[in-house]
Amino acid sequence: MTYHVGKVDVHALRGVDLKVAPGEFIAIMGPSGCGKSTLLHILGGLLKPTSGRAIVDGEDLVAVSDAARTDIRRRKIGFVFQRFNLFPTLTAEGNLRLAEHIHGNGAQPENAKFRKEILQLLRLENKMRHKPLELSGGEQQRVAIARAIITRPAIILADEPTGNLDSENSAAVLQMLQQLNRELGQTIVMITHNPEAAAVAARTIEMRDGMIVKGHETATA
Amino acid sequence: MDSLIISNIRQRPTRTLVSVTGVALGVVLVILNMALVRGMLNDRLRRERGIGAEIQFARFSSTIWSPSSVLPLDARYADRLATIPGVQIVSPVARFVQSGNSGIGLEQVDGIDFQGYAAISGLRVVQGRVFQADDEVIIDEKKAHDSKAKVGDEIQVFGRKMKVAGIYAPESGARIKVSLEAMQRAQSAPNKCTFILVKCVNPDQQAEVQQRINTTLPGNQVVLTRDLVTGFNRAVPGLDGFVKAILALSTIVSTLVILLAMYTTITERTREIGVLKSLGASKRYIVIVIEKEAMAISLIGVVAGVIAAFTAGWGIERATSLQLEYRWTWVLVAVLIGLVAGVVGSLYPAVRAANLDPVKALAYE
Repeated sequence: MTYHVGKVDVHALRGVDLKVAPGEFIAIMGPSGCGKSTLLHILGGLLKPTSGRAIVDGEDLVAVSDAARTDIRRRKIGFVFQRFNLFPTLTAEGNLRLAEHIHGNGAQPENAKFRKEILQLLRLENKMRHKPLELSGGEQQRVAIARAIITRPAIILADEPTGNLDSENSAAVLQMLQQLNRELGQTIVMITHNPEAAAVAARTIEMRDGMIVKGHETATA
Repeated sequence: MDSLIISNIRQRPTRTLVSVTGVALGVVLVILNMALVRGMLNDRLRRERGIGAEIQFARFSSTIWSPSSVLPLDARYADRLATIPGVQIVSPVARFVQSGNSGIGLEQVDGIDFQGYAAISGLRVVQGRVFQADDEVIIDEKKAHDSKAKVGDEIQVFGRKMKVAGIYAPESGARIKVSLEAMQRAQSAPNKCTFILVKCVNPDQQAEVQQRINTTLPGNQVVLTRDLVTGFNRAVPGLDGFVKAILALSTIVSTLVILLAMYTTITERTREIGVLKSLGASKRYIVIVIEKEAMAISLIGVVAGVIAAFTAGWGIERATSLQLEYRWTWVLVAVLIGLVAGVVGSLYPAVRAANLDPVKALAYE
């Protein structure tokens, strides 16, 4: 089971070859416009590269139709965004339920044990009845992470998850991502500008001008 | 999904209210207009039938539905009609149309020869007495009730005040009746009338009598009262077109309101649609989310519209002499138009939302 983007040849990306092992937590760093967001969008099946392959959990996101790509996204991908992107009219609980509803293809799966575990780990047990605007940024991002992981995706793609948070909330969110990775074996690919954020990942990839220029293990991981 | 739809509807109460009102308006338009058309036609029909004559004899230039106020027919035809075999009683009627006392619609006045008319229709005066002078009228009970007129009161007829001499029953023809001579003098048309009522000896032979009248007095309009239903629908110019126009108007208004509301909604929620896509929602899922929201709005609109239509109808009947007659088929048509407008109006916004580029949608400010 590997995650693979091979020889993608678009303006944003040139010859990126990246493998992520199951259960791995990697950070992708690089300046704005280096192609890291494009890479994440391709990995998540939101964008189709002009050529190359992007394989998630054995399924190629590039070779298939739009509808099939959406279906792979539904079954295997969890997104976490810089701006949280929670549905503002729904409570935290409603946001989670909607993700489950979409993931279950219209069915609302019974998932009590896992859900309890997740909410405990993200310290959200008492926040579920609140709407996003009643929550702090850190809490909102934790709800967003819960929404991403509640459907047990093969991979979580986090796009600058701490970009809108102060340092205290950043640290908390990063620590929780690390915990999800370690305790649940959740595979995570995270984009960040911040070297301190990247430090929680086991491996950091550096990108520039659409290419991977450096990859190294994080000493502290 | 349902909680998302409900929360979205509640999130924008003004938008929801405006769209609901738009759909409700379409429903009210259909129900009220159809009830009015039916009510007025059937009211007239009932009263025409209440006259009790099997045949009405008139000139071709005038129809009983839209008579000219100048009396076109020589009342002396009555004498000739009376000699035709099978004819029992004849009675000339002069009909005058004036604008309604409530300011809405038209009102008819019949000038009658009381003896003959009463013999044909069974009309009798239940309060007061029959008109005796030119400035006296008799009115039916509904007219008395609607204009709150009692015996001895004055009402407007021919543009002047006339005294209510009596109240009659049952309803037949126009609700206000004066003497034929008074009408002829008022119109400066001595010996003229609008049509002549013909009662047959044997109602089963009315067709034969009609045939005989046509042979004896060719070139005139000889109508069987039982054929008036279709006659009325034809005789009201453009009624069919009016009905179709109302239906089309209602459909267009409701559809456009929903289209605009949902189009605004998807523009406003572009990023949320991007998030739905990032969660793996299929095009179908997104179309359903938007269609369901539109359906919910039009459902509320339809219910509000039906309630508003019946309330307004009740008010109209109380405030004016207009009569409404509801038919469930038209209520059903109105409801269907509202719901179909919801589905059709939201189709374009829904498909547009489903086809949004997820990356662009997520980046939307």
